[in-house]
Amino acid sequence: MNCPDCKEKLDRYVDRELNSTEVLEVQLHLEGCPDCMDSYEFQTHLKRLIKHSCDCDTAPAAFREKLRQILS
Amino acid sequence: MAESQSQAPTTFAEEALTHLDTLYRGALRLTRDPDQAQDLVQEAYLRALRYQHSYQTGTNMKAWLFAIMRNLFWDRFKGSRKEDVSLDDVGEFVLYDKLRDEGAKPEADVLDKMAASEVVAAVEELPPLHREVVLLVDVEGFSYKDAAETLGVPIGTVMSRLHRARQQLQKSLFEYAVESGIVRASNKEMPTQ
Repeated sequence: MNCPDCKEKLDRYVDRELNSTEVLEVQLHLEGCPDCMDSYEFQTHLKRLIKHSCDCDTAPAAFREKLRQILS
Repeated sequence: MAESQSQAPTTFAEEALTHLDTLYRGALRLTRDPDQAQDLVQEAYLRALRYQHSYQTGTNMKAWLFAIMRNLFWDRFKGSRKEDVSLDDVGEFVLYDKLRDEGAKPEADVLDKMAASEVVAAVEELPPLHREVVLLVDVEGFSYKDAAETLGVPIGTVMSRLHRARQQLQKSLFEYAVESGIVRASNKEMPTQ
């Protein structure tokens, strides 16, 4: 695997959407390529930032209770 | 038999309510309004209860509920016109590469300095068709397959929308980083704080 191939698969690697053979190929490339490893760690960091920024909202307790009563 | 039928609605409702936060977050990001989000979620739950017979036990209830909620969103707020805004013209934008070009090293430090509210704003600026893919895959951790089933589109469509959405998100975050002084685009240096 070369850097362009790795770059093309990186999103799916971060999203855990590659098959086991592809995962192994990407892992081997990352272990030997600091640039791609940096890029991978950045993408992982970015995905985590988006998740943590957006998933801190929870349904208000009063709304949860209202729904519980409506649905019971 | 009669006993299991009488218990079914309560059991179904209880299980459905374990996914309330996911639905509420999704509705909040789609409507960008807490009151509209609550109305949307409440209607989604009522519809889910009405059509619970169509839910197959053992399948992904969170995905099923999210699908009901987002379909109601499109029906109520967008008149079912899903192809409202395209992101086809975003072009390739890789934040990591851009930060390297600007000399902002280490690149990950830039992410640590970004305010969560600005990240949320960048997500909410995405067209709804692209926003919902980011919500499912990046925020709620859906697989491409589950996201595709939830949205009623092929996996390839999920991947292409996700790709374009991420390009736009990274572009927005870079612009925010420059405007807020996290990155000095012209000086090619990170400011000391």
